[in-house]
Amino acid sequence: MLQLQYFLILAAALFCIGIYGLVTSRNAVRVLMSIELMLNAVNLNLMSFSNYIDSTEIKGQVFTIFVIAIAAAEAAVGLAIVLSIYRNRDTVDMEQFNLLKW
Amino acid sequence: MLSILLVVPAVGAILAACWPSHTRTIASTIALAVIGWTVFLLTQFDLSNPAMQFAENFTWIDALGLSYRLGVDGLSLPLVALNSLLTWVAIYSSNEQIERPRLYYSLILLLNAAVSGVFLAQDLLLFFIAYELELIPLYLLIAIWGGQKRAYAATKFLIYTALSGALILAAFLGLAWLGGSNSFIYNPALAHALPVSQQLLLLGTLLLGFGIKMPLFPFHTWLPDAHVEASTPISVLLAGVLLKLATYGILRFCVGLFPDAWQIAAPWLSVWAIVSVLYGALMAIAQKDMKKMVAYSSVSHMGYILLAAAASTPLSFSAAMIQMVSHGLISATLFLLVGVVYQKTKTRDINILEGLLNPERGMPVIGSLMVVGVMASAGIPGMVGFVAEFLIFRSSFPIFPVQTLLCMVGTGLTAVYYLLLINKAFFGRLSAPVQNLEAVTWRERYPAMILTIAVVLFGLQPGWITRWSEPTIAATLHQPPAVVASVAK
Amino acid sequence: MDFNNLVTQLNAGTILPEGIVLITLLGILVGDLIFGRSIARNLSYFAVGGLVCSLVALILQWDNPQPVSFIGAYSSDPLSVVFRAIVVLSAAVTILMSISYVEQTGTALAEFVAILLTATLGGMFLSGSTELVMIFVSLETLSISSYLMTGYMKRDPRSNEAALKYLLIGASSSAVFLYGISLLYGLSGGETTLEAIARGIAGASGSLSLGLVVSLVFTIAGIAFKISAVPFHQWTPDVYEGSPTPVVAFLSVGSKAAGFALAIRLLVTAFPQVIEQWHFVFTALAILSMVLGNVVALAQTSMKRMLGYSSIAQAGFVMIGMVIGTETGYASMVFYLFVYLFMNLGAFACVILFTLRTGTDRISDYSGLYQKDPFLTLSLSICLLSLGGIPPLAGFFGKIYIFWAGWKAGAYGLVLLALVTSVVSIYYYLRVVKMMVVKEPNEMSDVVKNYPATNWNLPGMRSLQVATLAGLIATSLAGILSNPLFTIANDSVSNTPMLQASVQRQVAVK
Repeated sequence: MLQLQYFLILAAALFCIGIYGLVTSRNAVRVLMSIELMLNAVNLNLMSFSNYIDSTEIKGQVFTIFVIAIAAAEAAVGLAIVLSIYRNRDTVDMEQFNLLKW
Repeated sequence: MLSILLVVPAVGAILAACWPSHTRTIASTIALAVIGWTVFLLTQFDLSNPAMQFAENFTWIDALGLSYRLGVDGLSLPLVALNSLLTWVAIYSSNEQIERPRLYYSLILLLNAAVSGVFLAQDLLLFFIAYELELIPLYLLIAIWGGQKRAYAATKFLIYTALSGALILAAFLGLAWLGGSNSFIYNPALAHALPVSQQLLLLGTLLLGFGIKMPLFPFHTWLPDAHVEASTPISVLLAGVLLKLATYGILRFCVGLFPDAWQIAAPWLSVWAIVSVLYGALMAIAQKDMKKMVAYSSVSHMGYILLAAAASTPLSFSAAMIQMVSHGLISATLFLLVGVVYQKTKTRDINILEGLLNPERGMPVIGSLMVVGVMASAGIPGMVGFVAEFLIFRSSFPIFPVQTLLCMVGTGLTAVYYLLLINKAFFGRLSAPVQNLEAVTWRERYPAMILTIAVVLFGLQPGWITRWSEPTIAATLHQPPAVVASVAK
Repeated sequence: MDFNNLVTQLNAGTILPEGIVLITLLGILVGDLIFGRSIARNLSYFAVGGLVCSLVALILQWDNPQPVSFIGAYSSDPLSVVFRAIVVLSAAVTILMSISYVEQTGTALAEFVAILLTATLGGMFLSGSTELVMIFVSLETLSISSYLMTGYMKRDPRSNEAALKYLLIGASSSAVFLYGISLLYGLSGGETTLEAIARGIAGASGSLSLGLVVSLVFTIAGIAFKISAVPFHQWTPDVYEGSPTPVVAFLSVGSKAAGFALAIRLLVTAFPQVIEQWHFVFTALAILSMVLGNVVALAQTSMKRMLGYSSIAQAGFVMIGMVIGTETGYASMVFYLFVYLFMNLGAFACVILFTLRTGTDRISDYSGLYQKDPFLTLSLSICLLSLGGIPPLAGFFGKIYIFWAGWKAGAYGLVLLALVTSVVSIYYYLRVVKMMVVKEPNEMSDVVKNYPATNWNLPGMRSLQVATLAGLIATSLAGILSNPLFTIANDSVSNTPMLQASVQRQVAVK
């Protein structure tokens, strides 16, 4: 049987890929996708913990359902905002969004 | 009893701000009422009692250990009186057609309340609140009704004073915490139990805070700027009352709370005093601008107070008290007179002004008053400045002979720069640029005359100042006699 | 498990205030659907009424003998009551401020109020939740509705941009936070309520494990984003500048207070093993926030941006109360947040008023305002000076309480730094006051020259006036008459078992 560690390492790797995508992407939609990837890494984490450690109450799996639902809401809001900014600016390139500067 | 000194001007400030007209009348009435109440307090004051009188005591905020404690003793009473008097003088001598009168007069009244609060507070935190409360009104008074570079001067004043406030707060917090106290009540026994090293640290912080405000070299740079840019009544208040906040703080808190550490620090403080005295005097000689000259003379004269405080004998404390009152009166007079001169001639440059004493086309009365004021400031016998300086030197000489001698040089320098001023601006022929002066009205002469009379009167009868403070001073200095004696050996 | 037992375990009465807000929210949605825009303004007054009812319900919950509810997922202890009250109050004032603002921009008011109420609901639940799923869901309720509000002016590219930035940074930080939480779940051996987690971790590994530290760091990153502590503050100025001003008011007070509630509860309850580590991290965050917030605020030209940096700095002050971890420390934090609520909302109400009349928020445009609108000048000056900590205004007492608590706990360095930075802060607050009060009539800015006459009878202005006045009065009097507030702050800490346990643990260690 597979060990818990493998799942955790896979989740950590996915999370890192997500962060990499977050930092390097110029396209707003791709940034949103990277965030989804990070959330899914967390889901994997929760699922594996729940399976190996907490297999009677499976709280982690319930948590995952919540995370999926909220990730969907977040993505919906995110895409709505991207859409409205596209209508106003005709672009979704992150480097073009420079009206506000510090 | 004492709360009236805070409440009346504060309410007056709100009234002056809200009432649509007659602002000046309201403000003068309030100021006169405050003077009246001060006189009443003076009559009720028990001269033989060294402790706090008319004390008021309420717990304000428990969680902070803040209590509303007021009280007045010989150290604060003369200064409260000075504050009441000079506030009225400032209001009276303000321009009748001043812009935004409602804001102006309400700020002056607020300033009066805050300064009274500083002198009356018997709780360290309450003292700090009042000390900070004075900051914004004075800032606005300089910044709105000042001269050309007023924004710069006001900001500089603000930063220096805010920093001084922060240092004082840090020292008070430190004292309350190290002393293991849960409240900020003024309590000399608190610091007494601390090790000397901690006392010295706290004293140093406190001295730095007050030194900025006082001001002592090298923290004085805000003062000439603020004075030059401020309008005449504000200069009067600034020099007359606000600098006394610091010297009062030194006598009350530095000496009162840390007598042991003060004894250790005293020799260095006397050296600091000389540096300040001499530097102020030398800078004053170099000035062309009359107002700046008077401002630097303030730096110099405040140094004497530090010297007297460092000597810390009963006589030197009385001398310091007289010097505070005398500097308050004299510098206020001088600023008033310089203000009149500036208003009439539109310049304060002593290289341009000439022959103002001319009896027909000059300003003989103002000039004469100026001569008297200058003589008082330079310490000519017969005026209060002489008494103050003589007593300071007399009392400090046995303790710090060398320092006192050097300070006397400072007095000589005072005579030098004031002679320069008088000689250039008032004697000689009336020069071309200042011909056709407007006549000086009596209204412009009154305040300076009143103050000059006070200067001469107190010069002849200095006991009228010292009688209030002597018992308190004796009690303050004799509180821990054993320790003082052992350190003095 | 029989029904009665279940009911006692649920103890659903504790969420009555949230229930009231929820019903108000539903009422607004239904009312808006049926009657449309014609009654939008009445609906927003209805929302304020609902929030006030919820506040009353909260007051009744004070000293609730049975605070734990929903089988340990939610706690209505005094600390959560206080924080929920702050969130509710800030939402109510925000609605008062937003009526005329939103109407003037031509967007739908009722929807805005509905989203704001959702955010309030999230913030309230966040203040009391003691279970990971609950924390995450309420955090996201608050965050997602905040994104929506930020981007509410959908035709304004600046608002869009602010919303996008907020969303991307916010979503990624909540992903990071979630990762930390998932580790917590695993490390504790499958527990989700905070206290069980602490027990589980203590049982699983006596000493400090790498996983716990990683989880701590990730969690703090998520929290620090919410309270906009440096270096997780990058979104703050942009979002403040770009989004509608009432939203900024809510974000800077309500959302931040909820973040602090989360910070206290999560860190104190779940991370007792690494208390020194998280204290150290928060000390660093506090120092950075105070220094950077105050220094960068000096250079700002936009009022909202300046207030953004100022709110970063103020969060730094509040963090002092948290890192010292004593009873007075937490109490000073609660007190400061209360005071901050009044003064910051007051300041934002004034900024909204000015923006409504002139359409700008550049600081230089405020010059000479004294001549045209003394009331606005007075209110804004008082609120700003209070933020700068000038006595005898409320902010001074808040600051001095924090300094006093910090000094008593021996955090000299932090307090001295806070003292110095607050001197710096006086300078930039006073700069605005100077602009308004000191400038001569001939230096008046063009917008102020064309300043419209004050007409409070315009629709929606009356409520804005109420908000401004409330801010002004509370800011000037909350300091002088602050004893009740002090009592509330102290009681909220001393009656909260979770904080008491932590304080005692710390005393025992010393």
